[in-house]
Amino acid sequence: MDKLNNITSQVEASSELKSSSLWRDAWIRLSKNRLAIAGLIVLLTLIMISLLTPIIAPYGYEEQNLAIGATAPSEEHLLGTDIFGRDMLTRIMYGGRVSLMVGFVATSVALVIGISWGAIAGFFGGRLDAVMMRIVDALYALPFMIFIILLMVVFGRNILLLFLAIGAVEWLTMARIVRSQVMSIRNQEFIEAAYSIGLTRWVIIKKHIIPNTIGPVIVYTTLTIPSVMLLEAFLSFLGLGIQPPQSSWGLLINYGVETMEEYPWLLIFPGMALSLTLFSLNFLGDGLRDALDPRASKD
Amino acid sequence: MKEISLILNLSELLKKSINLLKLVFLAQLLLLSASCGDSQTNVEKGNINGTLYWGNGTEPQSLDPQIATGVPEHHVISALMEGLVLKDRKTLLPKPGVAESWDISDDGRVYTFKIRDNARWSNGDSLTANDFVWSWWRALQPALGNLYAYMLFPIENAQEYYEGALTDFSKVGAKALDENTLQVTLNHPTPYFLQLLDHYSLFPVHKETIEKFGAADERGTRWTYAGNLVGNGAFTLDEWEINRKILVKKNKNYWDSDNVDLNEIVFLPIDNMVTEERMFRAGQLHVTSSLPADKIAAYKEIDDSPMRISPYLGTYFYRINVDVPHLQDPRIRRALAMAIDRVNLVEKITKGGQIPAYAMTPPGTMGYFPESSLQYDPERARKLLSDAGYPNGKDFPITEILYNTNEGHRKIAIAIQEMWKKNLNIDIQILNQEWKVYLDSESAGEYQISRAGWIGDYVDPNNFLDMFICEGGNNRTGWCNEEYDDLILKIAPATKSHKERLEIFQKAETMLLDDMPVIPIYTYTSIQLIDSAVKNFDSNIMNHAYYKDIYLESLN
Repeated sequence: MDKLNNITSQVEASSELKSSSLWRDAWIRLSKNRLAIAGLIVLLTLIMISLLTPIIAPYGYEEQNLAIGATAPSEEHLLGTDIFGRDMLTRIMYGGRVSLMVGFVATSVALVIGISWGAIAGFFGGRLDAVMMRIVDALYALPFMIFIILLMVVFGRNILLLFLAIGAVEWLTMARIVRSQVMSIRNQEFIEAAYSIGLTRWVIIKKHIIPNTIGPVIVYTTLTIPSVMLLEAFLSFLGLGIQPPQSSWGLLINYGVETMEEYPWLLIFPGMALSLTLFSLNFLGDGLRDALDPRASKD
Repeated sequence: MKEISLILNLSELLKKSINLLKLVFLAQLLLLSASCGDSQTNVEKGNINGTLYWGNGTEPQSLDPQIATGVPEHHVISALMEGLVLKDRKTLLPKPGVAESWDISDDGRVYTFKIRDNARWSNGDSLTANDFVWSWWRALQPALGNLYAYMLFPIENAQEYYEGALTDFSKVGAKALDENTLQVTLNHPTPYFLQLLDHYSLFPVHKETIEKFGAADERGTRWTYAGNLVGNGAFTLDEWEINRKILVKKNKNYWDSDNVDLNEIVFLPIDNMVTEERMFRAGQLHVTSSLPADKIAAYKEIDDSPMRISPYLGTYFYRINVDVPHLQDPRIRRALAMAIDRVNLVEKITKGGQIPAYAMTPPGTMGYFPESSLQYDPERARKLLSDAGYPNGKDFPITEILYNTNEGHRKIAIAIQEMWKKNLNIDIQILNQEWKVYLDSESAGEYQISRAGWIGDYVDPNNFLDMFICEGGNNRTGWCNEEYDDLILKIAPATKSHKERLEIFQKAETMLLDDMPVIPIYTYTSIQLIDSAVKNFDSNIMNHAYYKDIYLESLN
């Protein structure tokens, strides 16, 4: 009896071990990648700072002090002040909230729509694929600016809407990437095997197709986040995004460029914040791709 | 003599260009590995070809002199057309333009202009007194929507005709006695009338061209397009690429074309000041329309600095739409005006020697120094706001400041946004629009508070005060006060003595400031970068450029 129990528990333990092995393996591989871990830590720190900004920011982001104007970094203002005498450290911290939020929210929107759209189109193929991809083509052809301006006119200027609008535009490329990936996977033997043991199509899409597309998707995601952040800056610059006195990294950089000869710190520090984020994202993305590649796990 | 000197000039020019070619060749050899671009800048090319590269700030809304309203438009139109009278480029005193001479009757009400025999349109047609009568008739057509129609109101019966009280145009005081004689009768002796004639709203327009492309009072027809437009100025319109450039060429049919030195002017619409400054440094522009405030200090330190800061007859102000429910109370408008710290604004933000303004008219305009009770007083501003029903800014609706896309305006708006937040605890949003859209929103009253600037059309306090008459096309605030209209339109023009006239202006100005449909912010200075090759481009308080005088000196 004891023996039997022992065996069952062993079997259970081993099956438990097996079912989590993909993610555990991935984690083990990721944790060996120092750059990726460094990226993750920096990113988490930036997110923590952003969350805590209202508590830890040394000044108010709109607090002006015209009398001092633009000053170089000093003890009082670690990263200097802008021409209105506003503390740059504070503004970068608040700007990070907006930029990170745009980056993650808009990219998630793009991910969710893009992956499901591409996977369905690629998996079912035929007429459904043709119709879905023509819709993507049509949206591609639509000038992006006009699309956003229309959205703004109809729904008014709203920061959440801005996130959604950017996401709603960025998913197109994602859908195409996923679709082509899916088309190459769906005829492979392991999918046939899945069919033969009686899995439904949805389960196959969820369990077998999508995880196999994860490499290119992650790479593309790490590219999308920075482009979304810059897009936000561009829209805000045109008066369609966030408005002064609020700011984002993209906007801070935009204005910093104009006075880079007179007040270089207005460009350097927000630029550093943005580059730091982008580097971290890239390293983490690279690491994740290597770690999550299901083919790699079979070695 | 002239021919000889021309030949000399030519041979010299040839030598210079050969030298230059050699230089260019050498430079190209040197640069061959690094780049393969054109090593000659616009300025270098322009100095040789007589082409002036002019930073015009922004794309003109229209080139129709009876529709346009704005400084960028003025710069282009004054190259293409000319009025009866020109002004001296330094003193701004009237001097003969299309009219070679004029007589003024003893009572100062009747002007008789003698138009030059050789005054012609750019297509060769001769320019007659009838052209002026027809142009002014067109300017007074209500359907045209001429925002400057009131500039003609000093002319007898012009206002009555414009407002529809009179339908017979022959009763309006502008008559062609013969081909070359124009007689203008005024309501009152108007001391600034000659100056008005140099303003584009009184310029002649070519009847045949306008009628070819639509009705005389139709807006936005194709007559102002390159190839269509016929003008009488020193230059003709050769190319107009929207948002890229406007190219004008010397007009051979211009009466004084012998004395026009420039061959071409290229107007570049660059509304980003930073870009403009960089283009200037790269030798792409002879003249910029402005300079970013943050660069002024650096340019001050250069020897022979290309920067020129000069007094400018203009007021930077905010219009308030008095039809917006929460801005109807004058106390609120005064509170807003009192909560702006103008001294800090001009010292720390605009930095170009601007003078804080507490009245609409710039101080010293024709000896007029406006008195004003307005000052920076946050304490009183808060009290006024709470008297008006918003103690400590509580429940004050979010209000929007509109400005045309420009770095300088944005900075001022951000500073004022914060001053109002700090002093009055009210929330302000900032909205920018492209120049043409912004002008349309402002004219249509689709704004709450809007940034504005008024640059003098002529040197007289009247010019800064008469735009706020009820029907004034440039009023745009919805503010209307009949007593004010009376002072400006009837009482001031009828006074004999200058001193008395100024007292009436003071009275009107006080009424305006008590009601505060506009918030004066500062008196302009013009800040420009000017290439050393540009000669005869003197500063004057209206910052008018008289292109026919300008010449370019080639240094190599």
